Amino acid sequence: MTVTGDSEKVSDLVYLDYAATTPVDPRVAATMASMLTIDGDFANASAGHIAGRRSLARVTHALEQLGVLLNVAPDSLVFTSGATESNNLAITGAARYREHRGRHLITMPTEHKAVTDVFRALEKQGFDVTWLGPDERGVADIEALAQAIRDDTQLVSIMHVNNETGVIQDIATIGELCRQHDVLFHVDAAQSVGKLAIDLDSLHIDLLSMTAHKLYGPQGIGALYIADRPGCHVEPLLYGGGQQRGLRPGTMPISLIAGFGHAAEIAAHSMAADLAHLRALHTRLWSGIRDLPGIVVNGEIEHGYPGILNVSIADIEGESLLLALEPLCVATGSACNSQDQEPSYVLRALGRSDLLAQSAIRFSFGRLTNNEDIDFAIERYRQAVTRLRNLAPERAA
Amino acid sequence: MSIDPYSAEVRRLFANPRHAGDLGDVAEAYVDEQGIRIRLFASAKAGKIESLRFRAWGCPHVIAACEAFCETYEGRAIGDLTAFSAHELLRSLSIPVKKTGRILILEDAVRSLGQNIRDGSCQILLRD
Repeated sequence: MTVTGDSEKVSDLVYLDYAATTPVDPRVAATMASMLTIDGDFANASAGHIAGRRSLARVTHALEQLGVLLNVAPDSLVFTSGATESNNLAITGAARYREHRGRHLITMPTEHKAVTDVFRALEKQGFDVTWLGPDERGVADIEALAQAIRDDTQLVSIMHVNNETGVIQDIATIGELCRQHDVLFHVDAAQSVGKLAIDLDSLHIDLLSMTAHKLYGPQGIGALYIADRPGCHVEPLLYGGGQQRGLRPGTMPISLIAGFGHAAEIAAHSMAADLAHLRALHTRLWSGIRDLPGIVVNGEIEHGYPGILNVSIADIEGESLLLALEPLCVATGSACNSQDQEPSYVLRALGRSDLLAQSAIRFSFGRLTNNEDIDFAIERYRQAVTRLRNLAPERAA
Repeated sequence: MSIDPYSAEVRRLFANPRHAGDLGDVAEAYVDEQGIRIRLFASAKAGKIESLRFRAWGCPHVIAACEAFCETYEGRAIGDLTAFSAHELLRSLSIPVKKTGRILILEDAVRSLGQNIRDGSCQILLRD
């Protein structure tokens, strides 16, 4: 099959879609590449021979690196294929494990599809789900959550950093509330692990989903943290060779796991510098476009995750805006699958009109973004908005 | 298999819509339907279309189709407007089937423009 498409190399583009995926850190790539061939640690970690034991040591080391990043015991982590699988395992697995106690679950409509679709599937299986509406910024109402918790509530799932808006939820307070009521608390932390400090030893979080490819690691590997405390466990979704205590069987992808571990180690050391860098970029970008008439921030400027700036703009058609922004690589306000031109359900939940939601652009940046990239984005965005507005006809009276 | 949702022709027309703008004191047609807004302007002389201009609010395919129409129909007979069919544009621009409805809105606008030139009117065709 011949696949044709855009001829530009990624290096010819300005990549501002770090919330979708980050490039792999060259140090991580080197670690992984060294493992793939006959001279590397490629063997099956379940094998009893020396090569297998070397691979197992790689797994153990990666678990330790993740444990340091999150301040947890390495054996509380289970590797998965990514955050989607981690979310599925956490939510479905916990719901089934605690089903005998009750079938009430709580989440928000602004969660990632990898969460909302799991809850919808559970609803079809007879579970009762409360969908907790956000405020106009996208933040969970703690009082409303407290009122929603019932005697039969078994699980609350609320993400840490919203993938579209960058809004940060108060997971410390929510965790305390859940613990008071003996309700499991799951956090989708795909956008925050390795970027914001998460001390699982001090937070009342029972289940936490993460993925490597948002923190300069490889795609195809993630993990689920499962707190070691009574009543906190998950039923497996897969059955097989018994690897990872039977919670996630299957041959472990050693090079991916090692890459994840290395990315976590780098993140632990560079997090403070990364955050300062992102704050400066965020301020620069917002300062450069905030005066455009009709511009609206989706999320929070002051208290959101500084790696994401999501803006809508009045009287602009989103698909044309996205094309006019090329070679800028950004995400639109359409659903998480960008092939889908439906307005974002997250932005609709924040009260945005269809028109405003579909004009949304999510700029997300990272460790490798520089001021020149941001200045290019500002110039391109302003040009595109002006051009499309000049092209549009006046509405008939 | 192309992974680009836009044909090279759509990209060319969208990037450089030479006919975007207004013509003063000439026949016009305006359509506002399904979230798409198109305004067409035409000057005509001796049964021929002299100049065409457009303004549009819509997706890249709509904007490219408006420009393609203007490029193609300047110099042609006025009667060609009332007989205009979007079929050729759909094919030549490789417009996805799911967007056919949007291009048919342009067809409505072009036919209305042709009628307005004949009538010497500036009728607005407005649906929502």
